[in-house]
Order: sequence, then C-alpha cells, then structure tokens
Amino acid sequence: MSRPATRKAAPKGEYIETDSGNKVSRRAAITGTANITLGGRTVISADVHLRGDLHPSRPAPSSSNNGPARDAPPTSISIGRCTVVSAGCVVRPPSRVSRGAVHYYPMKIGDNVFIGPNTTISAISISSHVHIGAGCVIHPFAIIKDNVKILPNTVVPAHMVIPSGSVVAGRPARVVGEVGEGWGVSAGGAGGGALGGAGGQGWVEGGDLRELVRGIR
Amino acid sequence: MAQPFPYTYYSCDCYDSATLAPTSKRASHPARAEEEDERTFDPRNPRSNYSLYPLEHLLYCEDCRQIRCPRCVSEETLNWFCPSCLFEVPSSMIKSEGNRCTRNCYNCPICTSSMTVSSLEPPKVPTADDTGGLAGPFFLSCPYCHWSTLDIGIEFEKHTGITQQLARIRNGGKVVPTPKEREKERDKKRDAEARDESVAKADELSPEDLNPSEPPPQEELFSNLFAFYKSQLSLAAPSNPFSPHHDINFSSPSSFSRIMNLYSSTSSKKQKKDKPAPMREACSITEGLVPYNPSLDAAAVEALKTHGWSHTLSPTQKLHQTSPNTRFINELRPIPTLLRTKRGKRCRTCRHILSKPESKITSTRYKIKLLGLNHIPRLSVRALSSPIPLPTMAASTGSQGFDYARLSPGLPTHFLLTLSNPLFDPIRITLATPSTTAGKVQSRVTIMCPQFEVGANTDVWDDALSSGLTKRGATASTDPGSGTPQVEAGKIWDRGRNWTSVILEVVPGFLKPIPGFDFGLGGELAKKVDDEHELDEDDDVLEIPVFVRIEYESEVAAEDRAAAGAEHGRAGAAGGKEKREEAFWCVLGVGRIVGGP
Repeated sequence: MSRPATRKAAPKGEYIETDSGNKVSRRAAITGTANITLGGRTVISADVHLRGDLHPSRPAPSSSNNGPARDAPPTSISIGRCTVVSAGCVVRPPSRVSRGAVHYYPMKIGDNVFIGPNTTISAISISSHVHIGAGCVIHPFAIIKDNVKILPNTVVPAHMVIPSGSVVAGRPARVVGEVGEGWGVSAGGAGGGALGGAGGQGWVEGGDLRELVRGIR
Repeated sequence: MAQPFPYTYYSCDCYDSATLAPTSKRASHPARAEEEDERTFDPRNPRSNYSLYPLEHLLYCEDCRQIRCPRCVSEETLNWFCPSCLFEVPSSMIKSEGNRCTRNCYNCPICTSSMTVSSLEPPKVPTADDTGGLAGPFFLSCPYCHWSTLDIGIEFEKHTGITQQLARIRNGGKVVPTPKEREKERDKKRDAEARDESVAKADELSPEDLNPSEPPPQEELFSNLFAFYKSQLSLAAPSNPFSPHHDINFSSPSSFSRIMNLYSSTSSKKQKKDKPAPMREACSITEGLVPYNPSLDAAAVEALKTHGWSHTLSPTQKLHQTSPNTRFINELRPIPTLLRTKRGKRCRTCRHILSKPESKITSTRYKIKLLGLNHIPRLSVRALSSPIPLPTMAASTGSQGFDYARLSPGLPTHFLLTLSNPLFDPIRITLATPSTTAGKVQSRVTIMCPQFEVGANTDVWDDALSSGLTKRGATASTDPGSGTPQVEAGKIWDRGRNWTSVILEVVPGFLKPIPGFDFGLGGELAKKVDDEHELDEDDDVLEIPVFVRIEYESEVAAEDRAAAGAEHGRAGAAGGKEKREEAFWCVLGVGRIVGGP
C-alpha cells in the first residue's frame, strides 16, 4: 500500500509520484485505497477507476494461515511492478453470490502488465508480461497467465483460463495464435536495449515497461 | 496477425532458396538467377503472405547463419496440456484417449467459450453449517451466451468426472452403455454370430436394427469400425505362420498367400511389395456398417420445416462438433477442450535446436532460445511529424498524433526509419527500395540516406556515463519544434549508441486515376485502364519493401578460428577479424492511403 508522498514539492503535475515510484494520476478515481497495493513504478492514468472498496468480507483462508495478516485490511486489488493502467480503465474485483450474499474476491495483477485504454477488468488473476489492448472487457474470474497478448476490443468470458504464450482475440475471446519466442525481448539484447531512441520507444509489448513508465509524467 | 501501423515484417527466403536449388541444373538457370537478382520483393505477391513475419517470431540458426522462420524450423512436441485446467496429459493417454481434455473442461458448442459446472439446486438459505452447497443435479453452462446442457436435456449427478458422465448420457437424458460395456456387448454378438451364421443373418435383418429411431452415436460407430479393422489388420499382419496363437484361415486371402510364400521364397518379396493384401469391408452393423435410413432424412426435413433456419448450425459450429453428422441445435454436444502442446524447434537444415522451452507446464522460461532479434537489426518506422503518442491514451483523445490510417495521396510524407543494432560490433547498413511500390497504387519512396553505420551494442552504462546529457538533448531534438534539423539528402537524421535513424520520404499514390488525365490513351484503352484500376481489398495499404544488407567485422568464433588456423598453418590467429555480411528483405507497413482529397 502506498500513500502519496507529502514531501514532494511539485504538486502541479498530472501524476502524484509515491516513494516507491508509483505514478497515480490526480484525475484517477480510486476508492478504498487501504485495500489496494501497488508494487512500485506502476502507473495509474487519468480516469481510471480502481474499486478497492469491493473487498472480501471474510478473511481469505490464505491470510488466516499467516498469523500477522489478521489485523491488516483485506486486500482487494494488488498490482505488481512497472504495470501501466491506461486512461479510462475500470478495475473491479470479481464477485459472486454465494449462500445469499455477494462475495468479492481479491484480484491480482502481476509485473510489467500493460492495460490499454478503456478496458474493464474483473479477472481474478493476471500474471506478468501481459499486454491487454484497448477497449477490452475481461469478465469475472478469468485467469490470464504470463506472456499473453490480448488484441484490442476482445471480450474475455468469465472463468476463462488463458494459457501462457497465447494471443487472444474475438468476442468471446479465443486463442488465435501464439506469441513468438521473442515476445518481450527488446531489440538491444540485454540491459534496456534501445534506450529512449529506437523508433522513439524503449519498450516492447510484453517486455520491461520501465522505460514506458519513465516516459509518463 | 493484424498489427497496427506502422509495422515491420521480415521476409524469410527459405521457400525461394529451397525451390531454386533443384532448378539449378536446368539450362535456363543463368537467366533465372539474373532475374532473381533483379527482382524486387513484392509484398502483394500472394506467396509473400507466407514469408513475412514479425521479428519476434523469427529464430536464428547460428550454424547456418540465417534467420529461421516458422516455415523453416521443425517442431517437436515436448508435452501436451489442457489450456483450461493446465494439467499435463501424458503421451500414452494422447494415444488412447485422443487430444482432448478428459477432465471437466468443455467449450460451449455455440460460442466456444469455456463452460462452468453449476448446481441446479436453488441457492439455499444461508445456514451456519458449511456443507459447501454442492448438492443436487449439476449442469454445464456457458457464461458468455448462456447456453447450457439443460438445453439438450442433460444433467449430471456429480460435479466431477463430467467426461465419464457425458459419455453415458445421450441428448435428452437417455442413458446409454459406456464404451466398455458396448465392447463387451459387441464381442458377445460376434461370438453369437460365429457360433451360428444363419442366426446372425437373421439377427442382422431384425427390424430393430434396420429401422432405428436415430443413427448410432458416433463413438459407437467408431469403436465398431475400429475393432473391425483391428481384427482385419491382425489377420493381414505377416506374423509367423507357425505361431501357435494364429489359426490359419484359408478363407482369408492374406493367410493363404502367406502359406504359398512359404514354398516360393524367390517370388515372395516381390509379391509382398507390389500387392498389399486386400481387406474386407465392414458388412454388418456390429462391424460398423451404417445402412442408409430414409426415415432419418425425412425427419431432418421435417425438423427444418417445423423449426426453421434458426434451428440449424453454422458451419463453424458444425466443424467444432466431434460428430460430423450434427445438423441441428438439439443435437449439439459440449466440446471437450482441445489440448495444447509445448514445442521445441530445430533448424530444418542442420537439425540444431533453436528453441527449447522448459518442460514444466507452468514455466515460461526457455532452456535454449536463439532469437532473430539478437542477430539482425530491428527496423522501426514512425512518422516524423509527430511525437510518439502515449499508448496509455485512447486513440480518440490523442488526436494530435499522426493518423497512419489516413495518408493523403500526392503529399510527400516523411517517416523516420530507425535501425537498432543488437550485435556487439558496429555494422554498415545499405538500404535499397524500389522507387515506386508494386501494386495498383503506385507510391514513390525515397530513402534519404541509404548507406550508413550503426554503432555497436555496447554496455548501456558506457553510453549513459559518457554522453548521458547530450543524448537526452538529441532525442529531444527529434520532437517538432524550433530546433528541428532539416531533412537533407545523404545525411542521417540522428544516431545513438546502437541505433541510427534516417528519413524515408513517401509520396503516397492516388487510389483512383485523376479524372481528365487519361495518360494520353484513347477512350477505350483508358476504360480498360480504369477497369484494371478496380481496387481490391487492402490495395490502399502502403507497404514498402526494403532490402537491407548489413556488413560487419566480427571476432572469428573459436572453432572457426581453429579450423582456419589449421588450414593456413597460422598459429597466432588470435584477435583475427572476419568479415560477415547478411541481407534480407523487409516490408514496412506505413499506413493506409485515403481515397478522395
């Protein structure tokens, strides 16, 4: 959980940068901040709606096993490092009705995930190095594994499992191909590659998004 | 795979080089070779579709020193797994059960999304005792289109082992015997037939068999045929005639010929080769024969009459069904999920492994991965006139960005072509492109600086420490503003540690010939030109073929050096440099030309 750093002297920018390097837009609508975890260097763009208030009502079995997590507020959205949530996205933890009551489940988004503009996400888990195009809808309880590319305007149905290395498109989503072996490897080989230069972008889809995060300000 | 503009595809010439080799003996070859040299790569050629790949999909064989595309690698399956439950399926199971998941993974026959098991029991009043609420009959339902197995009248008793349960239930809920039971029954029947041939004849013509209310299910048909041909094969198999387990049957032509072969050793081999033993066809229902049943056709016509078009399936839905005879919605079955594979790749010429993923299903790492993008320069293109739009903004809001889908014809447009070098040696680049693009819409293309150098891919920190500040300034200068350098022929635009960018000037062609300007042709001829000018789909896409040739000097690899040393008798070849060169075609998709002015 990251609180905006108060000692930052320049408050007039679009983004509030936290100690761990998270950039959160001033125009983002975030509810239930106590239940949201950002991993660091993560970007939350303008008009993003993070529904942290929809948290699990009963303690999750995993947290009850670990003693110290008793008093901590329940996590509803946890986002990894260098993940970019683009403008106009809605991130909403999945819910289902069980025994007469609505239960919300914590959702997890991994590292280096790019979520395109105007996408709605209710997946239970999104692993790392995933590229989600613009205008997608990911229905509740979908599981997206590593190295997946979701083409723009895809609708991923509820409970779908997308295995790693797939390219997914369509309404409803189906696996239309595989990402190549070079998925997420930037051109310059090791070490950041084409720093700020090549073609104007130092990042590739599914790769390390640090350069992209650095460029957003 | 559709990619947004601008994109770069790399051409792998594996097909051309493979087809050219056999023709080399022909007399016309020299002419052909010349032609080959002169020919420019045409991205509109139908064959080009199959040789163009994005850089991420290319591998590189270090022994052949060539790019390897998905067409020129051979794949070997490491393991099978279900994409839905992510369980590995052993290969023995693949052979016996087929390439579908045998757990609870099913896809919707209507919309292909994965189905979930739900309980039919209404949600109970919340009580204190936590029994899990898993009671009552279950059904498979599609979360996307809300089709469920209740639509075909199937309910399950348990929420696990759906495959076994589904195998026993016909549409409508009728319980049928399992394959094992069926097999037993078939064996019994066959035994009965064998015991009394005349009874079998009568049995075949029994009214129940001749006039079944519905065709036998596909699985039963298959297992019947499978058993029949298996028995035929075992009869035809050239096993040891003296084997005590084999009863010699003189009515079978294969065993007869085998016995004959025992006595004529000279002709036996020849005979075996050119004449496979004839095999009997299935001739009874227990053997898998399906007699034509006119009542079924009548029933189908009747169903069409009463339920109409919406009752039938689309071709894709039909193809997804395991049974080829499915015609109507009420005959649908949930589709068991197709398995996926994890595959390693080898070079087809030298059999070296190019990529090998770790065999664990959950692992995404590779043991071996020889990527094309670590060996050949990456070409990226973007419009010069605009800053890079942030991908986090929706396309509509970022309207100040360059619209690649709307190139105006006749207007010179500048693109920035950047080559970045993944190699640890500086490379010399020579670019070439046909001055006008092929196809119906002819656009003029000029590369302002076709020959230049790209620096080596050295350590990032060297660059950052030596010229960190100047580099930032250099990138800033590419932005439009007061400090914009002029577009100048023969000069590179900008360069960095391991990248160089040059300007590409494109004058997009006109989609339609300009009215009133008929190229000085007569009316009829002009009309013909007009007809030819009828645009096909995607003829307005501007794709530029670029020939890239790279030259560099590299350290001689250790084994090569040893070989060279042995050849030339030189001992101290250390630090020897070797000149290398590589060339390939690329296609830059820069955008779509708009129609009218």
